[in-house]
Amino acid sequence: MSADAPPVPGRPVEPPAAWPASLLRWLWIGPLLLTMMLPFAWMLAVSLSPGSGGSLTRSLAGPLRLDHYRALLGAANIGRYLLNSAAVAAVVVTLNVATAAMAGYVLGRRRVPGERLWTLGIVATLMLPKQVLMVPLYLVMHAFGLLDTYGALILPFAVDAFSIFLVRQYVLALPLELEEAARLDGASDWAIFRTVVLPLMRPVLAVVAIQSFLTNWNSFLFPLIFVDSDRLRTLPVGLALLSQTEHSVDWGFLMAGSTIASLPVLAVFVLFQRHILSGVLAGAEK
Amino acid sequence: MRTHSRLTAWGLISPWIVGFGLFGLFPFLFSLWISFRDYSPIRAAAPRFVGLDNYAHALHDPAFWSALGTTGLFVVGTIPFTTAIALLLALTVQPAFRGRTLSRVGFFLPSVVSVVVLSLLFKGLYAPAGPLNAVLGSLHLPTPAWLLDPRTSLPAIMAMDVWSASGYYMVIFLAGLQAIPRELYDAAHLEGATSWACLTHITLPLLRPTLLFVLVVNTVRSLQIFAEVFVMTRGGPLHSTTTVVYYLYEEAFYRFNQGYASAVAYLLFLLTLLLAWAQLRLVQQPAPGGSGSGAAT
Repeated sequence: MSADAPPVPGRPVEPPAAWPASLLRWLWIGPLLLTMMLPFAWMLAVSLSPGSGGSLTRSLAGPLRLDHYRALLGAANIGRYLLNSAAVAAVVVTLNVATAAMAGYVLGRRRVPGERLWTLGIVATLMLPKQVLMVPLYLVMHAFGLLDTYGALILPFAVDAFSIFLVRQYVLALPLELEEAARLDGASDWAIFRTVVLPLMRPVLAVVAIQSFLTNWNSFLFPLIFVDSDRLRTLPVGLALLSQTEHSVDWGFLMAGSTIASLPVLAVFVLFQRHILSGVLAGAEK
Repeated sequence: MRTHSRLTAWGLISPWIVGFGLFGLFPFLFSLWISFRDYSPIRAAAPRFVGLDNYAHALHDPAFWSALGTTGLFVVGTIPFTTAIALLLALTVQPAFRGRTLSRVGFFLPSVVSVVVLSLLFKGLYAPAGPLNAVLGSLHLPTPAWLLDPRTSLPAIMAMDVWSASGYYMVIFLAGLQAIPRELYDAAHLEGATSWACLTHITLPLLRPTLLFVLVVNTVRSLQIFAEVFVMTRGGPLHSTTTVVYYLYEEAFYRFNQGYASAVAYLLFLLTLLLAWAQLRLVQQPAPGGSGSGAAT
């Protein structure tokens, strides 16, 4: 757990375990895992139940229909929420990766006076619970005229202290030789950053992008207070508010919405689980 | 040449400085300033300086103390379970076996799903005529109204939190386990130590820094519980699930007492720092040095 280790360490390859011992272990991990997964299975089953009414206690093995998904896309603005979530996430992730790459590189190479102070600033931001800023951030957004705009969903989250910290730690462990060689060849700082450093940082930037996507896609409190218009709502906010108004007991409808909201993160998780787990581990190393 | 270098460096770091200043440091200081004022956007009069009145009000407000108590109950009632389950899961899925990655991914899964989705899901599971009560009923066990009953509403949300957070802290414990040198176990086995002795004399003592990290991170997170309450109960019934952040949200955006809400936010911030510091002091007692020093657990 050394502080300067790169966030994506190569794990030593262990020999695969024998089948009998593994099966024995699954005898009790299996039921445990199934219990953990049961709520998700129920969510899916209810979302696929036919018609309305009585769907709350349906058995997991009933008939499957897409009725609720059709109702969802027909009635509510779920499509709009989905689009908003996707667009906001795309912009935030891009800005996050760009700013983290730049600032993390500079801080990792101690290229500005007061590097220690800036790094301290980042660590302090990491410790600060964001909810504490609920009121003042709202007032700042109000002063900038950003309330109820896409800007409010994007700008405060474009720069992320944790992302910068991850990149800084990674850069600290990168060898200096390549950059020095490029400098001797007369390359400018910007050229070195773009053509030498950026490709080397790809693994940590992938971790940053995935973390940033998961956080942003699921974010709730700030989109809830920054945006009033229905047409600007993101999926979690839209879903939460729908569940408290006309659809409060329409479980098929709500579970269909929940399933749709979960599919993108599940896809990202299945595709990149190695990066995600290593991102959590890097967080534990700070 | 050097000035050019400097300029590039400042150029690369400036987006963060601007972002941090505008959306981090400035709001942080600004909220301190408004916490000393009777700030409210729906009042015509300009906000007056009221000194520590907002803080005094909070400390004399039973609603604030009730929210603090609810949050405290949540922290005390979830963290021991989450930590123990996370540690057990980590010890279970650490050794090599077929399908190890699958099991790790499965346990971690709730951590990537939106809290809003998890909350809706559990609101359905906990519904009076929902699947949980159907199972309990068929076993002839009591079927409470869960989220609709002030006696069971908070425990119900706590149970969901333990379920959804354990996998996340499991991964952090896995990182700690991975950092323990294998040679320690090899040496212990040579000397005939049992698995249990290895666990209590090597694994647990050396996991102390990880345990500290898990405790602090989970405490800070649990003090912020909001979305679960918003989606599942809106603080009710009878305020039984009004946490500090939910109380803060209602004061700021329903009653528009934003000066008062800022004072509450600062109190919460100080409490967070204090608890994190206390846990650091508590767990970071002299760390057991080197290999089998036989430190008591």
